[in-house]
Amino acid sequence: MTPSTGSGAGPAAGPAADAAGGALAPPVIEANALTKVYPGGVTALGGLTVNFAPGVTGLIGANGAGKSTLIKILLGLVEPTNGTARVLGHDSVTGGEQIRQVVGYMPEHDCLPPDVSATEFVTHMGRMSGLPATAARERAAEALRHVGLHEERYRQIGTYSTGMKQRVKLAQALAGDPRLLLLDEPTNGLDPAGRNAMLELIERIGVEFGISIVVASHLLGEIERICDRLVAIEGGRLLRADTIDSFTRSSQTLLIEVEEGLAALHDELVRRGLRPTTYQRSLLVPIGGVATYDTVRDTVADLGLPLSRMEQRRHQVEELFRDPGRTSPDAPGAGFGEQEAADVR
Amino acid sequence: MSASTSASAAAAGSVIHDLGYRRYDGPRLGRAQIIRALAWHSFRGAFGLGRGAKAKIVPLVALVALCLPAVVNAFAMSKGNPRLVDYDTYTPALRDLVMTVFVAVQAPELVSRDLRSRVLPLYFARPIKTIDYPLAKYLAFTGACLVMMEVPLLLLYAGSIANVHGGSAVWAQTRALIPGLLVGLMWAVVLAAISLFLASLTGRRAFATGAVAIVLLLTFTLAEILLQVEGQQNQGPQVAVVKGGPPGGPVHVQPILYVPSLADKVSGLFSPFTLFDGVRMWLGGTDPADGVSSPGGFGVVYALVLVAILALCLYGLAARYRKERLS
Repeated sequence: MTPSTGSGAGPAAGPAADAAGGALAPPVIEANALTKVYPGGVTALGGLTVNFAPGVTGLIGANGAGKSTLIKILLGLVEPTNGTARVLGHDSVTGGEQIRQVVGYMPEHDCLPPDVSATEFVTHMGRMSGLPATAARERAAEALRHVGLHEERYRQIGTYSTGMKQRVKLAQALAGDPRLLLLDEPTNGLDPAGRNAMLELIERIGVEFGISIVVASHLLGEIERICDRLVAIEGGRLLRADTIDSFTRSSQTLLIEVEEGLAALHDELVRRGLRPTTYQRSLLVPIGGVATYDTVRDTVADLGLPLSRMEQRRHQVEELFRDPGRTSPDAPGAGFGEQEAADVR
Repeated sequence: MSASTSASAAAAGSVIHDLGYRRYDGPRLGRAQIIRALAWHSFRGAFGLGRGAKAKIVPLVALVALCLPAVVNAFAMSKGNPRLVDYDTYTPALRDLVMTVFVAVQAPELVSRDLRSRVLPLYFARPIKTIDYPLAKYLAFTGACLVMMEVPLLLLYAGSIANVHGGSAVWAQTRALIPGLLVGLMWAVVLAAISLFLASLTGRRAFATGAVAIVLLLTFTLAEILLQVEGQQNQGPQVAVVKGGPPGGPVHVQPILYVPSLADKVSGLFSPFTLFDGVRMWLGGTDPADGVSSPGGFGVVYALVLVAILALCLYGLAARYRKERLS
């Protein structure tokens, strides 16, 4: 396993045009040919080279893509087999403690004791982050206020709903005043309303609090709303790293379901210049703009078909990157993972 | 959505409005200070402090039980009796039992809870090393066991010097106290290591308590049984030992004097409690009638076994958390 399998150019070769304005700021995370092979031969990361700019970055990958391993390496808890990672300027192997001083971490799984109050717990975790007792108490109260836990904070965590527990997990990561937050699947187990609330909260922390955030998720459709950039990994390798705009521009599709006349609709849509594909008992149409909706609506109306469903599809990352239709000429970033992809900035 | 709406509604209704995010630019504690904070937090936890009333029952009852002999002694001495309780043995049976209960119930409180609630990744993500977590827990629990061991002794001492007169008498009490305190230290250092290691093997509190209690009681019982078997064999044939002489010749009857055999001494190696006793006597402590008999020169083996147990448990504890971090 040579470390040079990383895709492409280093930071210097990154695109000059940086829409998000992070061009001058140094990256918060630099991974260089990062490789992790676990004992037993399982390759969790295979030469990952990618930079994370300040701001909110989505780390997208299916389960087992290497997200959690990457996070553990970034926290200095797991040593890479090969390659290096720098977080806020500290080397992950030699500067683990400095990294953990300035990085807040929210694990994917449940990690809260049920029999203490949120205030006590977050205060204690603040102390563990190196805050003196008084400061830890103050910051715990503030962090819990920021995540929207008010009077409930004196209740035992065991009595909380899943959404409230997720907020406590976020609050404990915030308590130590981090410069970077690593959030692993923060919307896990939440209902749609809870997901929205959590995403809004994360967006607010990123935008208003000025804390850089890496949100690991396997649901692209969910976090694309709040991210400036996306880094997609699969099988421990970089699939693509880009700003959110160039990511989603070519990725949105419309799902249309009609009770009957699917073939007729397909042909008519092709005739009107769209590129529908059949997907189970429905059609998928790449969205080129607002006009696409109109065209589909008009077509269905003109054919007089009973329309039962029409919705913008939420992509799971696998299909986004596997869909062969994406590598068409109108998708400029189609050769992902090759050239500028290595640099999210 | 709904949660944040209600949150902002609550904020609007109250006088204090959202102040926005404030950075922290005050001092940061170093690694040693974080360890100290965790150790203090855990030490308090070992006595149920900062927890509910239920968590305080066992440590409180245990401490009171251990202190009772000292109180009774003070009362007896005030009536003119000499000191009833030795500093180095204190009441052995009571101490074995109460300390077993204390470490079996409270060691899981320190380590199993965190395993159960899977909070460890949060500790590992703090600016400390992985080893620091078990280190802080060990320091805390050694301190807690030390309190359990030494507070009764100090009470005993206080009760004694209150009832003796003259500087030399006080000095005699003090000189007797010091070995007692050292014995307490030995107990605390070893018992904390054994119980924390065993408790750290499982997040299920009941199992952890069971494991600690069973290991301590089982080994103690085993050692006691072996001691009795050996003792009976020693005293067994009351007819005494026939020595030398041809059949029919004069028979020398040895007086039955209890001399511990090698097997007898080996029996004492099986339990921490008998090891404590053996080492204590090896170092010159009093030899009570029951329990382990003085190991004499064999005491060095007792000490080595005790140190080996301590080292193994501490290594096991450290390895346990290294594995936990990587999982």
